[in-house]
Amino acid sequence: MTLALNLSGCPCHCPGCHSQHLWEDIGEPLTEELLGGLSERYKGLITCVCFMGGDAAPEEVQHWAEYVKELRIKTAWYSGRPATPDTFHLSRAVDYVKFGPYIEELGGLKSEKTNQRLYKRVGEEWEDITSVFWKKSL
Amino acid sequence: METYIIKRDGKKELFTIDKIKNAIAKAFLAVGAFATEETLGSILSHLRVHNGVTVEEIQNQVEVALMAEGYYQVAKAFILYRQGHTEDRETQQRLDFMMNYVQASNAAEGSKFDANANVEHKNIATLIGELPKQGFIRLNRRLLTERIKTMYGKELSDRYMNLLNQHFIYKNDETNLANYCASITMYPWLIGGTKSIGGNATPPHNLKSFCGGFINMVFMVSSMLSGACATPEFLMYMNYFIEQEFGEDYYKRADEVVDLSLKRRTIDKVITDCFQQVVYSLNQPSGARNFQSVFWNISYYDRYYFQSLFDNFRFPNGEAPHWESLDWLQRRFMNWFNEERTRCVLTFPVETMALLAENGDIKDKEYGDFTAEMYAKGHSFFTYVSDNADSLSSCCRLRNAITDNSFSYTLGAGGISTGSKSVLTINLNRAIQYAVRNNIPYQAYIEDVVDLMHKVQLAYNENLKNLQEKGMLPLFDAGYINIGRQYLTIGVNGLVEAAEFLGYEIKDTPEYAHFVQELLGIIEKKNKEYRTRDVMFNCEMIPAENVGVKHAKWDREDGYVVPRDCYNSYFYIVEDKSLNVLDRFRLHGAKYIEHLTGGSALHCNLEEHLSQEQYRQLLRVAAVEGCNYFTFNIPNTVCNDCGHIDKRYLKECPHCHSKNVDYLTRVIGYMKRVSNFSEARQKEAAQRYYAEKQKAPTC
Repeated sequence: MTLALNLSGCPCHCPGCHSQHLWEDIGEPLTEELLGGLSERYKGLITCVCFMGGDAAPEEVQHWAEYVKELRIKTAWYSGRPATPDTFHLSRAVDYVKFGPYIEELGGLKSEKTNQRLYKRVGEEWEDITSVFWKKSL
Repeated sequence: METYIIKRDGKKELFTIDKIKNAIAKAFLAVGAFATEETLGSILSHLRVHNGVTVEEIQNQVEVALMAEGYYQVAKAFILYRQGHTEDRETQQRLDFMMNYVQASNAAEGSKFDANANVEHKNIATLIGELPKQGFIRLNRRLLTERIKTMYGKELSDRYMNLLNQHFIYKNDETNLANYCASITMYPWLIGGTKSIGGNATPPHNLKSFCGGFINMVFMVSSMLSGACATPEFLMYMNYFIEQEFGEDYYKRADEVVDLSLKRRTIDKVITDCFQQVVYSLNQPSGARNFQSVFWNISYYDRYYFQSLFDNFRFPNGEAPHWESLDWLQRRFMNWFNEERTRCVLTFPVETMALLAENGDIKDKEYGDFTAEMYAKGHSFFTYVSDNADSLSSCCRLRNAITDNSFSYTLGAGGISTGSKSVLTINLNRAIQYAVRNNIPYQAYIEDVVDLMHKVQLAYNENLKNLQEKGMLPLFDAGYINIGRQYLTIGVNGLVEAAEFLGYEIKDTPEYAHFVQELLGIIEKKNKEYRTRDVMFNCEMIPAENVGVKHAKWDREDGYVVPRDCYNSYFYIVEDKSLNVLDRFRLHGAKYIEHLTGGSALHCNLEEHLSQEQYRQLLRVAAVEGCNYFTFNIPNTVCNDCGHIDKRYLKECPHCHSKNVDYLTRVIGYMKRVSNFSEARQKEAAQRYYAEKQKAPTC
């Protein structure tokens, strides 16, 4: 059960972006008070906090991931940058990471053609688990 | 100056004296007399016609004028002539209703009096069912008000009718004479067949006669109820007959061929054929219910619930039910039903999984996992979670404390018998706005109305007892229903709208929680106050199948603040996108449902199916939050062209790629095609916010 936080001020500006409102600097600043409050409110109910975006300040996102991790909640980061866990230094606190800009012809994570990749930390390694989104039917 | 009169249909018409003259002249002719111009002039001189006068008023004046002039015989003829026309108009109204119904877009839209008719298509049989509804409403009101007068006096009876006519309260299911709904024990049928309820079937003695007899029995019971019939022991009894036929370990040998016919059926096939027979038969329209199918509910139990309810249970041969085989059969039935629903729109049974919670999780881990697995497979059913196996919910309306875990050799398991005799609902939005407008503290006003509602329900109960004394209620006499375990239900509707009017933010805040607790606390207090050895009351958020739409419409017409077209049965605003799934569980959690002793199911609307792990976590969330009754609602797609049914919410048929698709969803407790809802309900379904699945990994 994941609590997703949209981080605004996204510098990626992918053509066809489904959240263009997040290009601007909107919403309220992410503070310890805000994040702590949310964690407290959903304590015992959520199992993961996902930061959606934040490519303008990846170090900050990782700082907040560390904060969340201390609360024994898993963390995920959805980044739009064209990177891989091998090319980008990630904090130990990040359990899941998505890399890759949105490219309209290839589609998002649900598309089997997608360039975007979702990785899961398994010990020291990262496993590509993008295919979990490709479940066909029930 | 021209004078206008108001016709019966409300239209204005220019007043002319000729029509009245003609009517009076005809009345004279009817008694063999003749009215001269002079006679007519003297009669007409009594009339006082002013702008905006109604036709009825003028006719009343004519009656008086005829008598004042001494023409008593003519007056009588005139009165009879009016009555004749009134009757003719009533017939005309029925004809109009009939023509409207015939032309309505679907059965729910055409039904004027009780749109929850569980009817898929309209035809001559459903029309026959519609026509006497108005008569039933009148009859039921008369029966009830006569009884109220005897018990509490005319003043209270008048006040009741007043509150009813002004839509402060709503009497549910007035178009039927029978008591509302019941969860029955099948033990009397198991040992005596249907003779005691007026049938001629002997007790079931093998799997085949169990299935056939069960169908007949449910049809019979349902024709004596206006609402649902729950059979919480269905699978347990079936399991017993399967064991009798194939041995206690049948489930370990499910692949064994046991059929010597050319079909060479396995045990599993024999069993699923039984499922098919029972389920398809009970989803058929029923003649005794105006072509509605029966409303049939069943329950599943985890190990702990099973033990708590049936530990002392013994079948007629002295055997106890076996958990291991029942566990298998429950799983088999659920899986079979889930798959069968991709072949055919099957509404019934409405299923409830009963799970015991402990330390913020489901105590029976295997059943917690299994429940999540079934949700992830796209199956749609209710889950009831309780900290104590001391209560059970057998349908959307009922939640009863199991005070009686006893077993008797005549009545079977005591714990499962429950029901609601009658539901009377308060429109909280109107009541609270009315109180505020008139400077009455709304708490006091609600208490006053709720007090009256209890008296009305007691009057209803007396009428029911009267029917029973005359032998009219064999379900009670034969022990299928225990009248001592049946509730009189106080329903609530418009709670969220009332809170909005008072300025509360509809989210989990101490203020809103306090408002809900205080309001429902008033009802619970009265429920306890009026409880006696023979009578119990409960309180529920009614599913408001069509009442919610009616209340909103009436309230708007009368100038009350009405924020949406349908008052729902949730503690949150259905279209509020700022609330996530967890918020919704919380808003149906312990704090909010504390004083609800009847149903209040959270219908968690989702756009996409979740994974098993995610559903499993939501079961934990329910246990932590104390949300005891819920279901997940993901619209299923039905293709109107090729008939393909898909468990997902799709814009296009994955099979033939047609865009002509309809959706199956649970609006009022059971799955139905959206196009078969009434128009207002279709709108509500369209506005619903189906929370999008988190675009994040499953973790």
